[in-house]
Amino acid sequence: MTQAQRFAAAVFFLGTIYILTYLSIIPVPLLDDDKKNEILPVIPWWLLVSFGSYSLWSLGWGLLTFRDCPEAYQELLSEITTAKNELRMQGVSVDS
Amino acid sequence: MPQSPNISSSHKYSVILPTYNERKNLPIIVWLLARVFNQHALAWEIIIVDDASPDGTQEVARQLQRVYGEDKVILKPRAGKLGLGTAYMHGLNFCEGDFVIIMDADFSHHPKFIPQFIRLQQTHNLDIVTGTRYRNGSKPYSATAQPGGVHGWDLKRKLVSRGANFLADTVLSPGVSDLTGSFRLYRVHVLKHIITVTQSRGYVFQMEMMVRAKAMGYTVGEIPITFVDRLFGESKLGASEVVSYAKGVWALFISV
Repeated sequence: MTQAQRFAAAVFFLGTIYILTYLSIIPVPLLDDDKKNEILPVIPWWLLVSFGSYSLWSLGWGLLTFRDCPEAYQELLSEITTAKNELRMQGVSVDS
Repeated sequence: MPQSPNISSSHKYSVILPTYNERKNLPIIVWLLARVFNQHALAWEIIIVDDASPDGTQEVARQLQRVYGEDKVILKPRAGKLGLGTAYMHGLNFCEGDFVIIMDADFSHHPKFIPQFIRLQQTHNLDIVTGTRYRNGSKPYSATAQPGGVHGWDLKRKLVSRGANFLADTVLSPGVSDLTGSFRLYRVHVLKHIITVTQSRGYVFQMEMMVRAKAMGYTVGEIPITFVDRLFGESKLGASEVVSYAKGVWALFISV
C-alpha cells in the first residue's frame, strides 16, 4: 500500500462515519440530538484550523530552535589551511 | 572538536565522491577523509566518480593517488555529466568495502562525523545511518553526539528548509528528521538494493532512497551534523527548486 492509498483509505473510512452520523443514519452514543447537530457541522473547520495552527507553531518553533554553527565554520577554515600546506609539500596542486 | 568515539573495525569503508569541477575542494576533502580514517585505524577507499570535469579535477585526483596510493584513491571517470544516481551506481561497481559512505565534496559534509556514524551503526546493528542538521541528539541515543546545525543560512533560507521538512514529514512520515540530507552510511547490499528501485533524479533522489529504505524495513539511525553551506559564495534557492521539491514529495506520496 502506498502512502497515498493509506491516506485515501483513512479519509474514506472516517469520512463515511462522519457523513453517516451527520445524516443521523447512525446514532452518536452519548450525545443528544441538538448537541450533536451543533458539534458535527463544525468538525471539518475545527480540523482545518487545528492543522493550520499546528503548522504555524511547528514552523515558528523550528525557526527559533534552528542552530547556527559558527564554530564549525571557523574550524573548517583552519583545517583547510593545514590541509593545503601539507598537500602542497606532497606535490598536489592546491593553489589555482 | 567533538570527542570522537574509539572504534575498531574489521570492515572496509568505501566513500563514493561524485565530482564535477571540484579541483579546489577535492584534495582537501580527501585529506580530511584520510586523516579521520587513519586516526581510527579503519580500512578505507575513496572512489571518485568524475563527470569529465573541464577544470582539471581528474589531474588533481591522479596527484592524490600518488600521495595516498592507488588502492586508496580510486578514480573512475565518466564521459559526461550524467547525474547523481548513476554516479553512485557506477561507483558501487568498483566498491570493495562492505560499507559505503555518500557525501558531498564541497565541505558541507565534514568527515569528522564518520566515526560517530560507524559507532552508532555498530552499536545498534543498523543498516543505514544518516546525518541530520535538525536534531540536537542522535537517534538512538549516543553519548558522544553533539548538536547539529547549519552555517551560512539566512532567516528566509531557514524558513524554506523548515517548511520543506514539515511538508515531507506530514505527507510522507519518513521517520527521519532530515529527509533531503545526503551524508549517509549504508551497508553495501542495502544501498545496491535501494538504488535499483529508486526512480527520481536530482536531490529528490536522496529523499526517495530514504523513504524507500524505511518502506522496505531497513533500520535507520541519525547522527546530528554541522553543515557549512557554500563555503565560498551564497546559497541559492529559487522558486523552480521549490516547485520541483513539492512535485518530488507528491511523486513519493503516490508511489511509495
